[in-house]
Amino acid sequence: MNWKNVLLLVRVDFKSYRMIRGSRFRRFRENKLTLYGLYIAAGLIGLLAGLVIGNFYQGISDSNLKNLFFQGATSLFVSLPTLALLYGLVFAQVNQIQRMGAKISIQPLYWFPITWTEHTLASVLASIIGVPLVITILISAVIVVASIFFGLVPLAVFTILALAASTIIGSTTAEILKSLQVRLTGAVTKAAGRAAVWVRLLGSILFFLVFYLIYFSIYYNISPISLAESIASGQRALWFIPYVWLGVALFTFANGLWLQTVILSVASLIFIYALFVLAVRVNTRYGLYEAPSIRISHGVYAPKAGLLGRLGFSTFEAAMIKKDFKAFTRRRELTYIFIFPVIVVIAPLLSFMRGPSAAEVPSMFPSFLFAYVALFPGALMVVILARLIVGSEGESVWNLYSWPVSAKSLVKAKYFFVVFFGLTVTLICSVVGVVLTIPSVQIAIVGLVEAVFIILSLAMVSLSFGIKGADFRELPPRPRMIRTLWAFVDMAVCAILGLVIIAPLIPYVTMVIFQAGVPPSQIYFSLPPEYPFLALLVSGVIAFLIAYGFYKVAVNSAEQLLLKAEGPG
Amino acid sequence: MLTPAGINDNASQISLDRLISRSSSFLGLELAVQMSVVRLTGVSKRYSDVTAVDYLDLDIKKGEIFGLLGPNGSGKSTTIKMMLGLVKPDSGSVNVLDINVEDNPIMVKRKIGYVPESPRLYEFLTGLEFLDFTGDVYGLELGEKKKRIDEFIKALDLEGREGDTISSYSEGMKQKVVIISAIMHRPELLLFDEPLSSLDPKSARIVKDLLRQLATQGVTTIMSTHVLEIAQAMCDRIAIMYEGRLLALGTMKELRAKAQMPESGLEDIFLKLTGTGDVKPIVEALLK
Repeated sequence: MNWKNVLLLVRVDFKSYRMIRGSRFRRFRENKLTLYGLYIAAGLIGLLAGLVIGNFYQGISDSNLKNLFFQGATSLFVSLPTLALLYGLVFAQVNQIQRMGAKISIQPLYWFPITWTEHTLASVLASIIGVPLVITILISAVIVVASIFFGLVPLAVFTILALAASTIIGSTTAEILKSLQVRLTGAVTKAAGRAAVWVRLLGSILFFLVFYLIYFSIYYNISPISLAESIASGQRALWFIPYVWLGVALFTFANGLWLQTVILSVASLIFIYALFVLAVRVNTRYGLYEAPSIRISHGVYAPKAGLLGRLGFSTFEAAMIKKDFKAFTRRRELTYIFIFPVIVVIAPLLSFMRGPSAAEVPSMFPSFLFAYVALFPGALMVVILARLIVGSEGESVWNLYSWPVSAKSLVKAKYFFVVFFGLTVTLICSVVGVVLTIPSVQIAIVGLVEAVFIILSLAMVSLSFGIKGADFRELPPRPRMIRTLWAFVDMAVCAILGLVIIAPLIPYVTMVIFQAGVPPSQIYFSLPPEYPFLALLVSGVIAFLIAYGFYKVAVNSAEQLLLKAEGPG
Repeated sequence: MLTPAGINDNASQISLDRLISRSSSFLGLELAVQMSVVRLTGVSKRYSDVTAVDYLDLDIKKGEIFGLLGPNGSGKSTTIKMMLGLVKPDSGSVNVLDINVEDNPIMVKRKIGYVPESPRLYEFLTGLEFLDFTGDVYGLELGEKKKRIDEFIKALDLEGREGDTISSYSEGMKQKVVIISAIMHRPELLLFDEPLSSLDPKSARIVKDLLRQLATQGVTTIMSTHVLEIAQAMCDRIAIMYEGRLLALGTMKELRAKAQMPESGLEDIFLKLTGTGDVKPIVEALLK
């Protein structure tokens, strides 16, 4: 193995990782302080935190409490390798998701004299760089300092070694999963033919759904100490799984079982080597995998005038809407937008289902949950979709520049597409919300109509920013579609305008809160029964005015955009 | 009617003839007359410190196949983009088909077919879907759109792959799709930036013959190219640009006379006029 090759490849992957996180490069050589600043900071913060924890521990006078803390620290040390493994896998998976649209991420430079072993090792090491390495350094610094005060220095040193080994296990496993995942999705895509588009879209949504369900069920509403304790006890029960051997080795070490410690440690090293060999083999076999072409049709070509034409859209507008629909169902880097509403709904619903019994929650809580589910996912999706939809044209934007396209047509086509998806999501979420929370008819109507107003206006607001700040560069690993500054501006303006649109309904919401007795107060006020509908009307007028104002801005920006072929975006 | 030599595939030939005859009915059989289709008057364009185009005058006639030649960075692509209204000149005026491009770029774009230097297509669409989409953008009637797409796909050997996503196409296949999308709406002016570079010989020949035939029917083609053989073989007149300026303009005969190289080919003339002729020392240095 040529270690120089490995180090060079690690540096390349490291740069790629920093690009994913939005770092910019102007020079090939970077400032070393900036490069390593994060890790140095993690180490320093860890040292300080270790000192604070250690001093706090020493300051405890109650021996029972001190013993409790000591036991807790031991459990934490023992659980750390498995915890690091879990975190490592999650981060590697997130990293992998971020690289979804990349064409360059998996393909090694196969025409260079680099062996698969070198490539795989570099990839494994590079995956550790970033968040996993920061966490490892932080935890290591904390425990090494704190262990001096706890009198657990040998265990801490062993824990740090186990932590490093666990991070490598996590990264190597992610490397294997990466190749298998690409191979599997490719095989499914090829086998599914025309249905591949839907298989891929629904498969992605299902994958995220399962991923977040597992993530929330592990981490949501669980304290770190109880998590550490359940891992520490769980890994002893699952001793036959090689992934927990390091944690069990720490447990045996803490209890003075030296022979078991040596056996488990050696077995773990053998396991790491076996995993690495497997990763190399999987990469050798599937590493140069080319995504298969998807055959969408082989029948006779029969163009037809669609529904959109009958709805008053021009042929260009209808074609654009159909094209965008295909883009958002076929481009993998865009399908994640469909995941947002799912996540936004899952988190509060899990909390609602895990939370206190119905008798303990305030009576208006289900109504609020309904309002949240009806308003938020659709609005969030619309804001994200609208700001990205113009930038999603990418470098193919030259088509727009060269075609006889008017700014108004462009805005109309993009707006309709965004609104259509936003309303669909709102409708689905509202149905789910009604089924789960059973709100009053009045609240259901008010929530749904308000959601429609918000979607119609914020879609235009966000679209205007999406045009103004469109980023057509298809820089690896995936296109950004909007400049970061404009994305923040858009989010802030949408949040403020969303509140302005909802403002007329605030007295109604306040009345619902007070009527439910939250907070307990003697204040009681009521509004005329027609108030919510009057407030809706005012809200609708505000939404219309905002939408109209931003329509003018969007058309103006689109006119500028269509004359902007001089520079790259 | 043109009978392209070297094309043995009867199906392709029949399709090509059909395509051309359809053009005739669209454009009428008026032959090229000395009418200006593109007129650039004193056009300049600067990008910060770089002068991309420096006071350029061009007058391109109807039915001409006009070649724009020049080394990298000589201003060819910028000139073509100004004709399309994609780049606004700093000074001077650009008139295309009697329309001031700055005043009405959409009207101009409707009448133009454009093939950029590095076209990027919507790779998630199939070739067929992209052409269908292009037909809709130019507002082609359904029946006409189907006929033209079917014929072009047949003529350029895309049959069998038209239902696959463009992401799986080779560069040449992508180039074919772009060329079809530029021609299918029967434009009056074709702007080709390096049009034939990725095509296989047969498809390149079909496109060349198609352009020649369209020229006889009054369709003007302006092509920027580095392939001097193509320019020499196809273009009625050639403009040689260097550092944004027009170095020479004329037929091959006129260019030979200007360069005082009566027996030479375009490559030698080009290298002499652009002052980039002596490559021997560079080659020798590379071999060291």
